[in-house]
Amino acid sequence: MLINANSNTNRTKLLQNRYLELLNSGIEAEKILVLVQNSKKKKEFINEIKEKSNKGFVGSLKIYSFWGFIREYILENWVVVENNLKDKNAKIIPYLSGLEISQYIFKKSIDEVDFTGYNSKTSLLHQLFRRNSLINLNNLSQEEVEKRDNILQQTYSNEANQAINKYKAKTIDLRAFDYIRQINIFEFLYKRIENKFEYVFVDDADEITPCVLSYFEYIKSSVKEFFIAYDEFGSSRLGYLGAINVDFEKFLNCKALKPFEDDVKTKNALRIFNSIKEDKKINVENIKTKTFLKRNEMLDSVIEDVKCLINNGTKPSDIAIITPLADEFLKRELEKTGYNFNFISKSEKLNQNKIIGYLLELLKIIIDTSNKFVSPYILKGILIEILNIEKKEALSLIQEYKTSYEFQGLNLFDLIKNKDSEKLKKFTEIYEKVRFDKLSNILFEIVSNFVFLKKEISKDIIKINQLLKQIVDFEDVFKSGFSRLDLIIQLENTIISENPLSDDEIDENSIIVSSAQKIIDYSYKTKYQFLLDVSSENWIRQDIGPLYNSWVMQKKWNKEAFELEDNIELTKDKNARILYKLYLLTDEISLYSSVYDYLGAENFSGIDKYFEYKNDSIKDKKLENKPIIPRDDQKEVLNYNGGLMSVSATAGSGKTTIMLLLVDKILSGEILKDIEPKNIFVLTFMESAARNFKEKIKNKYPNLKELPNISTIHGLALRILKENNNFSRVGLDYDFEILDEVKRINILNEILYQFIGSTDKVDLYDGAISAYKNELALYGNFNCKNKLFLSIYEAYDERLKSENLIDYDDLLLLSLKLLKENKDILDYYNDLAKIIIEDEAQDSSNIQQNLILLLGKKYKNIIRCGDINQAITSTFSNSDVEGFKEFMKKSKNVVMDRCQRCATGVLDCANKTVCYAKKEKIEAFSDLIMKPVEGKNIVDKKAVDSFIFKKENEENNCILKQVKKILSEAEKSKKPVSIGILLRSNFAIDKWSKIFENAGIKTYKNSDSLINNQCYKTSLLILEYIVNPYDIKLLKEIAKELYDFGFYDFDTLKYANSLTEPVFLKNDFDEQFWWDMNYFLFKNHYSIYDLVCDIGEFYFSKTFEKDNIHMVATIATKIRNSQKNFEDTILKLREIQFKNSFSNIKFFKNEEKDLKKSTISIMTLHKSKGDEFDYVFIPELTKDNLCLNTEDCKLKEKSTFIQKVKKNPKSDFELKKEIVEENFRLIYVGITRAIRKLCLSVSDNYKFFSKDKKYENSEIFEGVLCKK
Amino acid sequence: MQKIDTFSANSLKVLDKSFEEFKNRYIYNLSIYKKDERTLLGQKFHGLICFYIRGFDVSRLLSDLSLNELVFWQKLEKKLKLIRANFLKTEYSFLIKDELNNVPFYLTGRFDGIYKDENGYIIYDWKTLNLPKNPAYDLQSIVYLYASSKIYKTDKIKMRYLSIEKLETLDVDFVSCEKYKEKIDKILLKLPWFNFSSNNDLEFQELNF
Repeated sequence: MLINANSNTNRTKLLQNRYLELLNSGIEAEKILVLVQNSKKKKEFINEIKEKSNKGFVGSLKIYSFWGFIREYILENWVVVENNLKDKNAKIIPYLSGLEISQYIFKKSIDEVDFTGYNSKTSLLHQLFRRNSLINLNNLSQEEVEKRDNILQQTYSNEANQAINKYKAKTIDLRAFDYIRQINIFEFLYKRIENKFEYVFVDDADEITPCVLSYFEYIKSSVKEFFIAYDEFGSSRLGYLGAINVDFEKFLNCKALKPFEDDVKTKNALRIFNSIKEDKKINVENIKTKTFLKRNEMLDSVIEDVKCLINNGTKPSDIAIITPLADEFLKRELEKTGYNFNFISKSEKLNQNKIIGYLLELLKIIIDTSNKFVSPYILKGILIEILNIEKKEALSLIQEYKTSYEFQGLNLFDLIKNKDSEKLKKFTEIYEKVRFDKLSNILFEIVSNFVFLKKEISKDIIKINQLLKQIVDFEDVFKSGFSRLDLIIQLENTIISENPLSDDEIDENSIIVSSAQKIIDYSYKTKYQFLLDVSSENWIRQDIGPLYNSWVMQKKWNKEAFELEDNIELTKDKNARILYKLYLLTDEISLYSSVYDYLGAENFSGIDKYFEYKNDSIKDKKLENKPIIPRDDQKEVLNYNGGLMSVSATAGSGKTTIMLLLVDKILSGEILKDIEPKNIFVLTFMESAARNFKEKIKNKYPNLKELPNISTIHGLALRILKENNNFSRVGLDYDFEILDEVKRINILNEILYQFIGSTDKVDLYDGAISAYKNELALYGNFNCKNKLFLSIYEAYDERLKSENLIDYDDLLLLSLKLLKENKDILDYYNDLAKIIIEDEAQDSSNIQQNLILLLGKKYKNIIRCGDINQAITSTFSNSDVEGFKEFMKKSKNVVMDRCQRCATGVLDCANKTVCYAKKEKIEAFSDLIMKPVEGKNIVDKKAVDSFIFKKENEENNCILKQVKKILSEAEKSKKPVSIGILLRSNFAIDKWSKIFENAGIKTYKNSDSLINNQCYKTSLLILEYIVNPYDIKLLKEIAKELYDFGFYDFDTLKYANSLTEPVFLKNDFDEQFWWDMNYFLFKNHYSIYDLVCDIGEFYFSKTFEKDNIHMVATIATKIRNSQKNFEDTILKLREIQFKNSFSNIKFFKNEEKDLKKSTISIMTLHKSKGDEFDYVFIPELTKDNLCLNTEDCKLKEKSTFIQKVKKNPKSDFELKKEIVEENFRLIYVGITRAIRKLCLSVSDNYKFFSKDKKYENSEIFEGVLCKK
Repeated sequence: MQKIDTFSANSLKVLDKSFEEFKNRYIYNLSIYKKDERTLLGQKFHGLICFYIRGFDVSRLLSDLSLNELVFWQKLEKKLKLIRANFLKTEYSFLIKDELNNVPFYLTGRFDGIYKDENGYIIYDWKTLNLPKNPAYDLQSIVYLYASSKIYKTDKIKMRYLSIEKLETLDVDFVSCEKYKEKIDKILLKLPWFNFSSNNDLEFQELNF
């Protein structure tokens, strides 16, 4: 019997009825094999049989999930395998162990194979695991594997095969087989044992793997009848999970029944399937779409919608939330609603569970014989959460431990054994009894004596049992081959993947949160499906790596090559099947997408592209309808009608506005026909500019189904690397990471220490490595004379490769390489990029320009906007203004020379600077002279002031006085103003912040440093308190900072300042601060992620802040993973406070400026680009800070050092010339930030290491401001 | 969480002993995993006996036994050799459907071996632990004899416990289905969903949440 119908129909009932008919006709149940997809379906099948069967003996049922069947089969017939083996390790019962055991065996096998030079060693284990799984699931012969290796040209396939063979041999030695390895044993057995099944039932046959099919083919002749139910459009597990499309009609030589083909639901599902396959937008009535900018906004909306449904009577179990990103943040947000959720996770680390985390730590302490110092934070958790010690007693014990360890090296247990507490006495007893025992016995004793078994922690008990089971497995399989500590470390690092034998149970009253595949696998039917993060590539991530390719390793693969088009088509097919199956399981689907992902990076390549977007969420939002009338010099830009165009736009010329208008015009189809948002690429220099541009477009077009591609050029490069698994073409694994500033410096420090015994020159090498990489890209290999540098460079390069890391230069170089060397990839982007707009083109490097030109090669519609006069990054980056100048020559050049920002006096000052440079024969500027816009600029010829002071104090006081005056006038007139203090260095920012702080004036430090983010600072302070609860000074500092942030009132500050003893020792129930600090101190999260989120969520509530909390928590988690304990993690968080970012996580900023208050921003001149202020102060303009003549210019060591690694190094004179030119442009940028007034100043003396030192003034005073 | 309707001899033993313990162990899954040496030994011998009775050559497997265990085996083998031809099945699982107060319930289990000769059936159970003190009243005997009488529809059945270490046997003769059912019912009535007259409404609700 063959039934072709989807799983939403009654097809399983048909199978069950036939099964019962057979039983009732007297056929013994042992002769009927039933195979279903998983344990949940097995249970459902059995329940139905139980319910419908007659009283009495039902039978010896042979109903299994496929994996369950293999397991039973092996256990039942193991002796046959053993009798064919020759070694002496015979086992009566083999270990049919979990993946954690085979992970360990695999790791050992890899150590025995030489993978020298292999990129991404960190993921080698995963690579080999996947390769081995796919070979087995697809039942590939050696010959078939070799053929695929040739297609994929995998360099390390020999080594991979060697490692797999070693792994196989070891599993035989140990008689330990995970479920994938069991396939081999099963195949060996069924070919040697007579088939006893006369009837075979198979449900969900469209999801079977080739290894199952081979079994059916083998027993086919001895089976009286097959009963197979399948769905010809099913097979959602094709490829990555090894499913195979089987022609069952051919297999059984009979026509399939289609009893439910007229079903309306089935027809709609087919429409979805076909739309995706035919590249048409899905338009089915009960599918809703919503799009948001930030992920948090999306989550808020999901939660609102869930609440709404439940308030209107929907049962929680009728709702499924489906996402590939069921991360901790999502979990926290959902759990806050108070509803029950059932998170069906695919894989997790065991110690993600708090109790498990503390238990493992406790085990480590018990078995330790070297008297290692125990992390006080962990000890607190163990004492309070596991041993149930009273909180204050625990803290006092820890404090005592810290002191006694530090001064006497006293062992923790020596301290504990002298305590009176009953619980500690009991613990000491157990410790003495079991400390030298097997780990499983120690754990059993601890749990039996201290973990109170109650139903509230039943989920924890399941995890504890999993842990115990794993420990026993390791102890069984490896006997004494494991040190107890190694075993704990192994367990901590083991990721528990889904166990095919596990029995997922769903609470009846909870909302399911799951991946799409799990929903399909377990056929969870719900009225509502909420599909989250649909714009994320994680929905469609292909399963491809340097050592495997789940498409090519399919049994049926018969092509001679694997091309991008194959990948795209197969991925589309997979998505069609997944969405088809999801739809069949629900009444209504709501899709939610966001422009940014959970860490603030742009989403791309999701499944949102398949749907017709009707944005209900913000359709009522008012559109920005104020018409903008372009000026004459701007009109030229809007007259663009294709081709190459360069736009030279001076500061304040309204460039962003006009670019927005241009994108508007392009989107309307007025310039190019058949253009969609996805065909427009807008590339900015800074991440903030891209975000800003995106928000403006989103606000202007709330109903736009997709946004144009707006990103930095690095963002674009990352997309090229990631999209369609392109990274595998350059030898990267899918989880490659971009090296951030912190890690790069750490790596360089380590290497430098190794080579030259010092890290003093890390800054020099940092710049030189970047420069050298770019030189290599431009000229190929050349003879670099600095041999020491070369050795260091090679070590750095090797280190990155081995850790699957790439740096920012690699990001650009690899994406360029991909486009240059892979025609299919280049064609893909060339077809996509119908128009490219680049902002700040003067700052682009040669590589960036090549990338842009290559991307736009087909349509040649490239617009590059910039201002040569504002090129301020060439001396410390690889930017190449000459490239932009060349482009200007080749393209239609439009000049926007009107500046409507600055007062006339400021404009004059800027223009004078240009003229002065020309007079001094410094080629810093183009000839562009800024002109005012009639009726727009403030007319004030005296808008610029300049001062030369004798002493530093005079300068400080004068500026402070002026600022106070401006603020007071603004307050009187109730017209808030913006003030910018622009400085030459980050160091000066701190100095000026203190000057204002001491005067009681609040300033805003515009620096991207981590500590400048309120969430980061607040979290760090509270974390520091948690590890130092006795530090009263710290408590006072926390109160002060949190008071400044507006979280506490003045009374709290007074209370904190009055403290003379630790807050947890007091009983100040009336004090909010007392409650809050105690709350955090005793929160005892094992995971720092949860702790930071708790802190963040307590103090912050705005949407962008919630995103930032998640980012801070992620940073803390990443650091925790690389530090040995909690305390070191906090120190590290403090250490990196002034870094701009960590792990490339980008905080969201509060873009809503408080228009009711005046603001003072302190920042570097470089940072000020793109900003504007009513009043601008540029102090400290010494010659050291702003030298404008080549003779006096001093070269820094970094500049000369970098030249030494270049093919054509510049002379010192050329370097000085460049620096002076850039100094001119830098002050020009600073000047043009001012709207109303500008004040430039300097003092003759400045403090240098507490002593006055004389400094020369910059030439700007004499040359431009006519001051001596 | 669902009402439990399927019982093994072990779960009935726990329920017979204490409703609280049954609830913790089988409804809330609150027991802590423990694998001891005895269980391991039992598993090994069960496997070995099963392969042996089925006619496989088990000589290679014996290297997995300790010297002591090997001595046990050698004695056991002598005994099994004489009877192995009469075994119908080994490791045979069963599912029996029944009802109490019109509520269906199921009994499951696995017979270690089913022996048949002219006197009828013997349900074998290999024991590494001590033999039951009151085998006739042991719930394993009750459930297994009840189940096997349903399967083979005869009262010519015995339950035989065989001690692997001591080679002692202990036989329990079949009494009557009614008596066994009565005992099983009595235990099941501790569960509120089989006992409509009980005042366990509150408990029932809790279990039915």
